[in-house]
Amino acid sequence: MKKHWWKALGVVLVIYTIIYGFIGEVPKYFILNETIRNLYFHVTMWFGMIILMTTSLVYSIGNLVNGSLTRDLKAKEFATTGFFLATLGLITGSIWARYTWGTYWTNDPKLNGTAVTMLIYLAYFVLRGSVDDPIKKGRLSAVYNIFAFVMMIVFIGILPRMTDSLHPGNGGNPGFGGYDLSSSMRIVFYPAIIGWTLIGVWITNIKIRYQKLIWKKNG
Amino acid sequence: MKYICRVVKQVLSIIQLNITLEWRRRQSFLAVLLYTLTTTYLAYLVFNGVISTESWNALFWIIVLFASIQAAFRSFQNEADRRFLLYFGMVKPQVLILGKIIYNFLYIFLIGLSGLLLFVFLLGNLVDDMGAFILLLLIASAGFSAILTFVSGISAKASDNPALPAILSIPLLYPQVLTLSRTSMRALTGFSWEVNGPYLLVLLMLALVSTLLSYLLFAYLWRD
Repeated sequence: MKKHWWKALGVVLVIYTIIYGFIGEVPKYFILNETIRNLYFHVTMWFGMIILMTTSLVYSIGNLVNGSLTRDLKAKEFATTGFFLATLGLITGSIWARYTWGTYWTNDPKLNGTAVTMLIYLAYFVLRGSVDDPIKKGRLSAVYNIFAFVMMIVFIGILPRMTDSLHPGNGGNPGFGGYDLSSSMRIVFYPAIIGWTLIGVWITNIKIRYQKLIWKKNG
Repeated sequence: MKYICRVVKQVLSIIQLNITLEWRRRQSFLAVLLYTLTTTYLAYLVFNGVISTESWNALFWIIVLFASIQAAFRSFQNEADRRFLLYFGMVKPQVLILGKIIYNFLYIFLIGLSGLLLFVFLLGNLVDDMGAFILLLLIASAGFSAILTFVSGISAKASDNPALPAILSIPLLYPQVLTLSRTSMRALTGFSWEVNGPYLLVLLMLALVSTLLSYLLFAYLWRD
């Protein structure tokens, strides 16, 4: 139990997010109205994604400094789960945009940032797929992962600041403070981030253990 | 100081070596030029002589980008195994990548200039501020070169998948191409240094960051 408490915490936080996210108090903003609840899912999933991608980056750096197949495996699996969360974030955002902006997809700096992020990580997976030697694969993909992460930060962190975004709270400043979260929303928002991240880590954990079992079986 | 002198000297000799090798295989440079010519001519045919400034701008960067990918990708492909062992004995990998980036920068800038010439000739001169446009092309070549050289290093080490260089490099180039096309749109319609200063700075910063990353990571890439 001592080792697994965080999994339970993850489940509890996600259930809390889902229940409280739908019945909790939210401020009434023009246009946004009740769709503001999507903040608990769409935005928090992407925060979780960034955390997982950063973990993947750390393992990639570790792999370069001190090469090991386990680090490479962890880097890959964290990136995969991060990509999964990104996809969920994309879908929730897209559905939300359909009802708020009237379209599933539009030319917005943040949307472009997401698309690029996802394409970069897809390229990362393709690169992994096209190298056979596991040690070489680890090193090449670690190098690409570091390069890609920096470019992703540039794209989603710096460029949107230079143009306007349609996103709520924006207009030249996509900073987190721009969301102007009310306290009734904060008590769901932050737990939701932790919850999605923990669930993501759990999924990753299972996949890593699964791969390790395969390695063990094959000697 | 002495160390820097030596590094500069080595970088210069790498560039010189690359130019010599390129001269020996002139047809490959001509091939990239031909690539630019055929695609530009295709654009000319498709647009049938009537082209808006926006399309001119978009097409120009896309064609230059793809020509650059062709150019930079070959820079490692032709000399994968043996010559690298030779390089390894003589220079540090950091020196090698710097030399290659600078060489490709010149190469891509040349391709870009030829592309510009072709565009002006075939699709009409829509550029309002030629000086600003060429400056943009210069900065763009630096940024393209840093990323493309590095990625071509990765794909030369990976496999013979011909789509790999494009898949790996284009998403990394989005930030640059996006900023570029926005800024160059203004060079086409009327350039103000005050408004576009920050964008030029962002482009320079992107080129610098990419070069720095290539410089730092290349050593790991070639450690076999």
